[in-house]
Amino acid sequence: MIPATLKRTNEWKSKDIVFCLTHDAESQRVWLGGSDFGVYEFDTSSEKPERQAFEGEGHTSYVTGMVRIGQVLVTCSYDGRLCWWDVDERKLIRRIDGHGRWARAIVASPDESTLYTVADDMLCKVWDAKSGEPLQTLQEHAPQTPHHFPSMLYAVAISPDGQWLATGDRVGHTAIWNTDSHDKVGELETPVMYTWDPRARRHSIGGIRSLAFSPDSKELAVGGIGKIGNIDHLGGPARLEVFDWQSGTRRLELEDNKKKGLIEQIVWSPGKEWILTAGGDNNGFLTFYDADSGELLHQDGQNAHIHEISAGPDFQQIFVAAHEKLTRWTMLTEKPVAETQDGVDSGAKPTAPDGK
Amino acid sequence: MLKAAGTTAAVSNMAAVDVLSQPALASELASQNKNVILLWLAGGASQLETWDPKPGRLTGGPFAKLQTSIPGVEISELLPKMSTRLDETAIIRSLNTKIADHGQGYFLMDRGRVPEPGIQFPHLGAILSHELGQVDSRVPDYVSMYTSTEGRRQGSAGFLGARYNPMFLTDKMVPEDIQRLESLSDADHQERAALRDFLAKRFVRDLKNPALGSHENAYERVRGLMASDHLFDIEREPKSMRDHYGPTQFGQQCLIARRLVEAGVPFVKVARAWWDSHGQNFETHRELCADLDHCMSALLDDLKQRGLLESTLVITLGEFGRTPKINGSLGRDHFANAWSCTLSGCGVRGGTVFGKTDPDGKTVIEGEMNAGDLFATIFAALGIPHDKEYMVGSRPIPIADFGSEPCSEVLA
Repeated sequence: MIPATLKRTNEWKSKDIVFCLTHDAESQRVWLGGSDFGVYEFDTSSEKPERQAFEGEGHTSYVTGMVRIGQVLVTCSYDGRLCWWDVDERKLIRRIDGHGRWARAIVASPDESTLYTVADDMLCKVWDAKSGEPLQTLQEHAPQTPHHFPSMLYAVAISPDGQWLATGDRVGHTAIWNTDSHDKVGELETPVMYTWDPRARRHSIGGIRSLAFSPDSKELAVGGIGKIGNIDHLGGPARLEVFDWQSGTRRLELEDNKKKGLIEQIVWSPGKEWILTAGGDNNGFLTFYDADSGELLHQDGQNAHIHEISAGPDFQQIFVAAHEKLTRWTMLTEKPVAETQDGVDSGAKPTAPDGK
Repeated sequence: MLKAAGTTAAVSNMAAVDVLSQPALASELASQNKNVILLWLAGGASQLETWDPKPGRLTGGPFAKLQTSIPGVEISELLPKMSTRLDETAIIRSLNTKIADHGQGYFLMDRGRVPEPGIQFPHLGAILSHELGQVDSRVPDYVSMYTSTEGRRQGSAGFLGARYNPMFLTDKMVPEDIQRLESLSDADHQERAALRDFLAKRFVRDLKNPALGSHENAYERVRGLMASDHLFDIEREPKSMRDHYGPTQFGQQCLIARRLVEAGVPFVKVARAWWDSHGQNFETHRELCADLDHCMSALLDDLKQRGLLESTLVITLGEFGRTPKINGSLGRDHFANAWSCTLSGCGVRGGTVFGKTDPDGKTVIEGEMNAGDLFATIFAALGIPHDKEYMVGSRPIPIADFGSEPCSEVLA
């Protein structure tokens, strides 16, 4: 399943910034949250899709993270709250004050029993996904940067086997945790992603913005931005580092100067053939790297920063949360190269992953 | 030996304006011992993330507002310490300065007027060091700390002359090249000075020329500046005071600013860049507002505790504000049509909020103020008539731009 082409098939504009989303591949329904503080359902299968707002006193700031567990959505926000929503009723079920500062991201364990959230109180909190009861607080990340400014805890990821959790902060520090004991079992450093400029600007803009474990849970990809020339813009290379996290060995160190900006999300292909990164500066990118060699396999983009993507299990469709728009992309893959006498590609046309 | 601009070319330019010929006028104002600390937010801080929040609007960003100690007045949650310290501060929310370009915006907000061919207008620091400084002062009249690069411009004192250019600190927080040469012993240095004084006084006695007095003054100032390096040494402050200001460079520079005004320096500028948040505006303001909030609060507290706040005007200002519209990089761009600044302390009616913007922060709907009016207000707060005129040749130049008026609502 090597990506050959990406085609942007739909674009739905909005007045707000779409920060997070999830979707159901079968029904083509998308759920999203963003800068108007609301949570919405968006049925892309209808001829003229319209947002359907969820009811209830939910969030009072940007909705930054979302997971779907069966018929329940759980969202987090810069207001520090976590909200549980009934998908069918489109109503608020529960709201709790989860964090003292901006909640940045939320993930669910593979068995959907547990939720993990990270926030600028520099805590990772563990929650019972069903009841909302707090289970544990993981504390590791320093509240201030080495230069005495507030730090931020941007990213969280859980391994596909459910055993490991990773949290990443503004200064490029990643902690890895055992999800059973909640002990810290490892740490990684990606200092370039901090982007602190000690002389001219005394300011940073980067940080670890995305984390993802490989399908075998042995490797951890860390995404952010590289050294920035002009720090008042996101004018730095999209930066990806891949580690054997248990040994701490950095296996890949990739920077893309063609499509710049922050890597906001990382997705590994199920077979570990490639790594998809999404993000951007003023514009957005979707970039596929060969997971083994780091070679750039395919790249596309759009004229809006990408905050999050939601890909179905077969990657046939990718929904993209972006600045003032939601887009849908279709991914096509090449057929295996037909064997020919001279070994040259037979010119087979790209096809969708399901072979259609 | 001395790079500090305050001592170079002092004679000819000072003679061009009227201070030396009217020392009584200068000393009259100087005797009031008024000082100014300008916290220059280079690049343009966002009014929406500081003094004029609009939570709940699409333009408002993610931050909440905080109720301050002044009933009915709310500011961004990013300034929690300042929210309890507005008793001595006036917020102006209605600046409409129109120019949203760094260079031109800097000129406007540094001089209070747009350029005119054929005349070099002085910048605010030069005007105020001219108005508030003492001719025979042994400390610098104008110190500008500008260690970051964004928007770094020394500026020109224009027709006031180089005497009023700043001691401009860009690399280090202490002035360079004001120390006695190592090859010169202190005794030798003193003896040289005594000999020069002896000869100069005889020369001045026989030639009644005001320019010669200025020449003498320049030497006195050099000696004063050479002796003022201790003012920049914050290690002389107790640890508790250094902790009060905090470990960031901005905090340390604010502490130096307090030491300078305490010693009689009339104008100190502390520039803090990098507010030019075209990308990641909210992350940037989370970072920089924490610094501004802490350092500004520490400075106001310290000045108040020392009884200096009544005579010291603290200004927060930049080239412009930032757009209500959030761009694709989660940034805000340059915006000069509806933005904010603050005045604290000397001559200011604390707890005041002047002016109003519309619910999205896109336009001023009450109390529109331009750069000239702001400068007139600053002058009035310091007791300087805003309609005072300088004579440049035969041309009268008002100290604040033509037609500008102070805003009485923010004045004590």
